[in-house]
This record gives sequence, C-alpha cells and structure tokens, in this order.
Amino acid sequence: MRDVTVRYGRRIALEAVSGEFISGSLTAVVGANGAGKSTLLAAIAGVVRLAGGAVNCTARSRLAYLPQRTAIDHEYPLTLSELITLGGWREFGAFRSPDASLRARVAAATETVGLPGKLARPIGELSLGELQRALFARVIVQDAAIILLDEPFAAVDAQSLSVLLDQVTRWHEEGRTVIVVLHDLNLVRAHFPSTLVLARRCLAWGTTEVALPAMAA
Amino acid sequence: MSAHALLVEPFETLAFMRAALVACLALALANGAVGTLLILRRASLDGDVLGHAVMPGAAIGFLYAGPSPVWLSLGGLASGFAVAALAGLLASDRARRDVGLVAFYLIALSLGVLLVAWRGSNVEIMRVLFGTVLAIDRAALLQIAALASIILLVIAALYRPLAVGAFDPAFLLAAGIRAPYGAVFAALVVLALVASFQAFGTLLALGPMLLPAAAARCWRLGAAASIALATGFGVAASLAGLLLSYHGNLPSGPAIVLSAGVLFGMSSILAGILRRVTPVPGWST
Repeated sequence: MRDVTVRYGRRIALEAVSGEFISGSLTAVVGANGAGKSTLLAAIAGVVRLAGGAVNCTARSRLAYLPQRTAIDHEYPLTLSELITLGGWREFGAFRSPDASLRARVAAATETVGLPGKLARPIGELSLGELQRALFARVIVQDAAIILLDEPFAAVDAQSLSVLLDQVTRWHEEGRTVIVVLHDLNLVRAHFPSTLVLARRCLAWGTTEVALPAMAA
Repeated sequence: MSAHALLVEPFETLAFMRAALVACLALALANGAVGTLLILRRASLDGDVLGHAVMPGAAIGFLYAGPSPVWLSLGGLASGFAVAALAGLLASDRARRDVGLVAFYLIALSLGVLLVAWRGSNVEIMRVLFGTVLAIDRAALLQIAALASIILLVIAALYRPLAVGAFDPAFLLAAGIRAPYGAVFAALVVLALVASFQAFGTLLALGPMLLPAAAARCWRLGAAASIALATGFGVAASLAGLLLSYHGNLPSGPAIVLSAGVLFGMSSILAGILRRVTPVPGWST
C-alpha cells in the first residue's frame, strides 16, 4: 500500500496509509471507532474508491473479503447451502452450475464450521453466530490467498468464537495472508502475531508486542 | 348475473378490454421479476423516484409530438436514464441519499406537470399522471410487449449476478467482478416503468411493480419462487381490477393498483397468522 487515502464526501476516513502485509502473515487491525479499520479492508478489497495512493496486490484475483455482518441482508431468501456455494463463484460464474467437486468442498466446509444438517435452511433461520460461521465456510470455499475479515467475532457466542478462531489459525498455518479487524485486544495478544494500529493514519505496525501499546497511548 | 357475464363477457365483447388485459399480463410478467429484485435490493424508494423521473421526458415528448406512445416513451426513457445516472452519483450515506432522491422525485413531477400544462389540457395532465389502460392501441400494445420481453430476457440471462448483487454487493466487487450490474438493473427498472407509463401514468406505474412483489415477499419464499408468485399476483390484480372497473364504472388503473394493494394486505395478514400458528425459529414478525 502506498499513501492510501479514502474520503467519504468531505470526511477523510483514511489518510496516507503506507506499508506492506507480508505474504503469509496474520495481522490484526485495531483502532477506535471511526479509525478507518473497515475502510482499510474495503480499500484493499477494491470495494471503495481511493481518493489517493495505490493498493498493489499481487494475488488480487485470489482475494476473499468478509464485510461486517450488518452489510449482509439476514432476511434475504437464500439457503445456507446457496450462501456457502457462492464461494465457488469464480468456478461457475453467472451461467454454469456448480460441479460435484465444488459441492463436495461446500459439504466439507460446512462440516468444518460445524453446520452440517442445516444446508437446506434459509439463512434467516440461523442465529448470528451460525450465520457468521456460514460466511466463514464461504471464505473457505473461496480458497483465497488473501483473506480480509471485518469484525468477524462481533456478537458471536463462545462456541462459534472458538470455531472461527480455529479457522483463522488454520488459514495462517496454510500460509495464507489473513487480515482481521477486531476490537478485543486480549484476542489480539493471544492469537495475532502482527498488529496494525489505525487512527485514520497508521499509528503503529509491526509485531503485536511492539505495536499494540500504541493503542493505549 | 352468471359467472360468464361477470368474468368473461367484458373481454369477449369489448376489444379495448382485451387490449388492456393483454397489456396488463405482459406488464405483470416483467413487473414480477423487476419488482421482486427491487424489494430484495431494498430500493423501493429508488423505484418510486425513477417512476417520476420518466415524467419530464415524457412531457417533452408530448410537447413535441402529442400523445404518441413512441415519443412519450423515448422522452421518458431519456429522462429516466438521466435521473438514474444522477441518483448513482448521490451520496452513499443513506439518510442524505433519501433526501436527494425525494428532491429528484418532487422536481421531476412538478416539471413534468408544468410542461404538459403549458400546451395540454387538464385531461392530458390526468392521462400522464394516472395513465389510460383502456385506451391502449395496437402500437402501444406492441411496445409494451416488446419492452416486457426485453426485460424478461435480460433478467433471465443475468439473474444470478443480479440476485447476488442484491444480497452482498461487496462480494462481487471483491471477487473482481466489475460489470455494472447495479446500473443494468436501474436501466431495467426504467424500462419497466416506461412500459407501464402509458397504462398507469407516472403516479401509479410503481404500483403494479411493487405491490404484487411486496405481497409475494410476505410468504418468505426463495427469490425465484417469489418472482413466480409476484407474477401470479400481478395477473390476478390485473384481472380483478379490470373487471372491477368495468362493472363498477371506475377508473381502471387505480382499480388494478388497489386490487394489488388488497392482495398485499391479505398476504401480510394471512402470512402473519400462519407464522403465529406454526412458529419457525428465526422468523421475526
């Protein structure tokens, strides 16, 4: 990233953020509300327009982005199976139907996040924790090299939290680059080797022990 | 009065009733899909604004060529697309965007009425505002059928990205799919509204699009089943409205929209009762 700047109208959400996420790193993005954490992920995902700077992403075509759950319409008429199968979009696109190997991966991902037997349920019948696990299953199916997660643990029960954390750890072990926005600093200390502290600008970025104290300051 | 006299005879004896029925059926086919996707995108207000956006252009078409369906539609298409493009530039902030959209709607509506009033009569203003289902001639009917066919074919081809874009637009963007499906859908809404314009006028054109779809959504079916049910509701409302207007000597456009409104009311009440009788976890009321 070089001098990444994002504006919403006149308000500057992100100002001249520069730096590099090392391939295979697991980074927590922390900061106060309105610090531009979600905007940073959206900028990397290419979902918001940059007012300045550039995001250079080698594996742009192999990127998975999970927005905040409030961005997802819980009432939408979609079954759990359809939601997770969307992860294979690149394989079937707008016109073809998902093949047997993709369906097998969907079943495996559903198993991993502990939701088997609920595939035919509409997503409106899932609890918030279950919906979040389903969205993780979609990211698993996407099989991406870069994974961006925006507050994936918000309002999630303890059981779902451990399932989701295990998955994040597994992605890290598989050598994928994982970037997670989160609030719980204890989780950051326990599970995330690198941290980026944001307050519209980048306050600190490095190993968690070194960077995280900037959050308190 | 026999069932035949009640239900069939009006269409059997009167050509304009048949033309109106065919036009309404063609519109119901297009509106079922467009209306359902509009509701799933939570963009009902955008639809309302586009409905009025058609007005100034149609009025200019009217000033230029009188009440010719082709010129009314071309003008309507032009101003509809212009406002859809402007609305796309509006702030992404929800509250400010709503204010902007309502401003568009009021400006478009008053501008349209002023333009028609400048050269036309009160009767013509009423026609532009409420439409004339019963005065649809062969040219208008062909135009409605052609527009409805185009809309259905485009939705059939792009159904999956349109549906996914309504659910999780960031997903398509992050997956690197840059095709402007939002703009394509806005164009489809403008086309559907222009097709409805002649029959229902600028004030009611959204009714046959939104109300059957809203009624179908009460039943919480999948997206495709919702579209089918919305189309069915649209057909039922058209038939009921036309018969009501014939037997009761009432204006037909409002009668059709009102019938769709009754279907919506009945659907929300019955689906609510059904949910209370058979509670399913996660079904919120």
